[in-house]
Amino acid sequence: MSDVIALDPYRPYPDCYDELVDAHGNARPQALAITRFIMQNSADELAARQAELDRTISSMGVSFTVYSDSQNIDRAWPLDVVPRTIAASDWERTSDGLKQRLQALNLFIDDLYNEQKVLKDGIVPKELVLNSKNFLAPCQGFQPAYGVWANICGTDLVRDGEGRFLVLEDNLRVPSGVSYMLENRTVMKRVFPELFAETTIGPVDEYPVRLWDMLASLSPRDDVTPRIVVLTPGIYNSAYFEHSFLAQQMGCLLVENHDLYVEDDKVFVKTLRGPEQVDVIYRRIDDTFIDPKVFRKDSALGVPGLIGAWRAGNVAIANAPGSGVADDKVIYAFVPSIIRYYLKQDPLIENVPTFLCMDEKERDHVLANLDKLVVKPANESGGYGILIGPRATEEERARCAAAIRENPRNFIAQPTLNLSTAPTLCEEGVLEPRHLDLRPFILQGEKLYCTNGGLSRVALRRGSLVVNSSQGGGSKDTWIINHGS
Amino acid sequence: MLARVAENVYWMGRYLERMDDTARLINATTHMLIDSHEDTRMSWPVLIDVLGEEAGGFVQEGSSSELGVMHYLIVAEDSNASIRHSCAQVRTNARCVREVIPRDFWEEINSLNLFVQSECKLASSRAKRYNLMAQVIRRCQAVVGVMDGTMLRDETYQLFNIGRHLERADMTTRIMDVLILQQLAPTSSPQSRRHFQWSSLLSALGATESYRRYFAQEEGETDVIDFLLTYGPFPRSVIYCMEKIEWEVRDLPNKKDVLKTTAKIRKALDSDPLNTLSTLELHGLIDTVQAGLIDLHGALVQQALHAPAA
Repeated sequence: MSDVIALDPYRPYPDCYDELVDAHGNARPQALAITRFIMQNSADELAARQAELDRTISSMGVSFTVYSDSQNIDRAWPLDVVPRTIAASDWERTSDGLKQRLQALNLFIDDLYNEQKVLKDGIVPKELVLNSKNFLAPCQGFQPAYGVWANICGTDLVRDGEGRFLVLEDNLRVPSGVSYMLENRTVMKRVFPELFAETTIGPVDEYPVRLWDMLASLSPRDDVTPRIVVLTPGIYNSAYFEHSFLAQQMGCLLVENHDLYVEDDKVFVKTLRGPEQVDVIYRRIDDTFIDPKVFRKDSALGVPGLIGAWRAGNVAIANAPGSGVADDKVIYAFVPSIIRYYLKQDPLIENVPTFLCMDEKERDHVLANLDKLVVKPANESGGYGILIGPRATEEERARCAAAIRENPRNFIAQPTLNLSTAPTLCEEGVLEPRHLDLRPFILQGEKLYCTNGGLSRVALRRGSLVVNSSQGGGSKDTWIINHGS
Repeated sequence: MLARVAENVYWMGRYLERMDDTARLINATTHMLIDSHEDTRMSWPVLIDVLGEEAGGFVQEGSSSELGVMHYLIVAEDSNASIRHSCAQVRTNARCVREVIPRDFWEEINSLNLFVQSECKLASSRAKRYNLMAQVIRRCQAVVGVMDGTMLRDETYQLFNIGRHLERADMTTRIMDVLILQQLAPTSSPQSRRHFQWSSLLSALGATESYRRYFAQEEGETDVIDFLLTYGPFPRSVIYCMEKIEWEVRDLPNKKDVLKTTAKIRKALDSDPLNTLSTLELHGLIDTVQAGLIDLHGALVQQALHAPAA
């Protein structure tokens, strides 16, 4: 097969790594098949496949919820017809790096709630952890199965201008998106059957089985098939689609808080046949809402007594309460040291360069360069509260500077990155570069597992770096391709 | 299975069946109209009465024309009797129980809803309506077919079938009542028209050929009424639905009251030689069956679908 195929007239941005083509617009080896397809078929054909794909998504009912959109509780999930391709060799190292990272983070969390050696040894500043609102005192002195707290992690990766993967953030509380990774693949198989036939694309569909196995490995009872439930806040939650999808694919009960109750430190689910004991809860509710007796008294989503049952060892909760302590953008800055400290290894994936506002010198640098940096609050998720310096107004920057001075511990800053791009079908059937990120999912219970690729999110507006679907982002199917030697 | 989920599955079955049967009723009524002579006038609001809506409110809106009634039964989103409303309910219920139903089943319901919400926007000409209703009926059957071919025979399957058959028994008697009420109404057709009206009823229930075979085989006095109420082998007869419900509840922990009610309905159907009933008595019998079905629904949601106390 010919090895040089130019994706004409597509031109990548000069300073960014493009996932499918090199600087000259020639297909990378892992992107040969899709590039050939695009070049051999007309723009009309690509548009026709996109239309077919959109129809498939609506009949499959793949949707997501936007809170501000009260009229329409679910919207069709946005998926671009052009897949993103990553070479298997490149992925292997990345996937090892992700496992390494989660392993170290779990050792760190377990240490924080027990001996706190890492604080005593001065690797991570004590006050940073002990004053964090995510450090939950009721979890101290406990050790979950295998010492693992964050059983499911969604780590956001980006590529820099050279094409190196960097970690943008770790999501250790209730990371979502894996159902869309799986559904994207199902849709693409229906729309591009010929490409799947001629390329070796790493499968993703084993995830629900891996998730079930991991959850089952946490069960306190080893003499029975564990009763596993997925705990959702309900149909109005933005990730409800995913909750019901995962319960369906694992064959587990999907429960809301009032379907459960605690008696004698054991958790029961109310079924038609009467109460049944629950062994493992995959909770999709934030830490502080899960038990009104221990955390937020006003929580209408929690189950009273759940933490007692967990501490008594009668039920496993994934992720374990308190694991959010490591899901903090300031702690993030220390993860490379955490890896070296616990594993005696160098990190396989680097962080994005990060300035800590709690450090006086770094803070001064941040305040002097607000127009060049991205500033992030430590504990927000979903892209909220972020200042993108170069795009912000003078007034927004001044407000941000004041917030930093008032509470420096709560902020980090990073240089604006030239996120990698991939050809994306835009208006009028034209392919243009659009920035994207990647969220793989890593599981840790008895064993470690990382998904084959992950969910690629795409900023659909030209030049935009905002990839969140709730803020108008789209997605791409991610193909890990073994293109041979 | 969770009690909360159980009730959703049951309603999903009811609404799916209601759509299907409403589409059948609409086509049968239209068919009857095409066959009828000019001296026969339909009292359209009877259809709304029959579907349990408060016809009063509707009539006040000033529309008792064919188009107005069809709008109400097919298109109106705020009408509990419309196909669009029932379909949206099926989809909402399915969304709430997606974790217990197979993927193909969910996709079929989704496609059905996309189709109904986009196609049922106008209650236009009779010809278009006929095709549309025929498609609604087929697509509902496709949903049932996909379920039947893929679904685990567990409580979800049982409750879905209980919902469908309770609704079906209800709709069969309501559809019968349309014709009976037509005969009681002042604008009714002469007695001689009785025959073709009953044949519309059979066609509404997809029963024409089955009835002919039944009629040709059975000895003695038999008629459409016997067939639709008491002939066990016909899947839309009231007795078939009762048998199906009795079978599907067999594993439920609190089934006693349900079985008591089905027995009561069977008894009502057993008590008289049906073919000798006058129109008025027949209307009375259908009322009794319908009251029984309301009790049956009550027994289900208040007892059978409740989680036993811890």
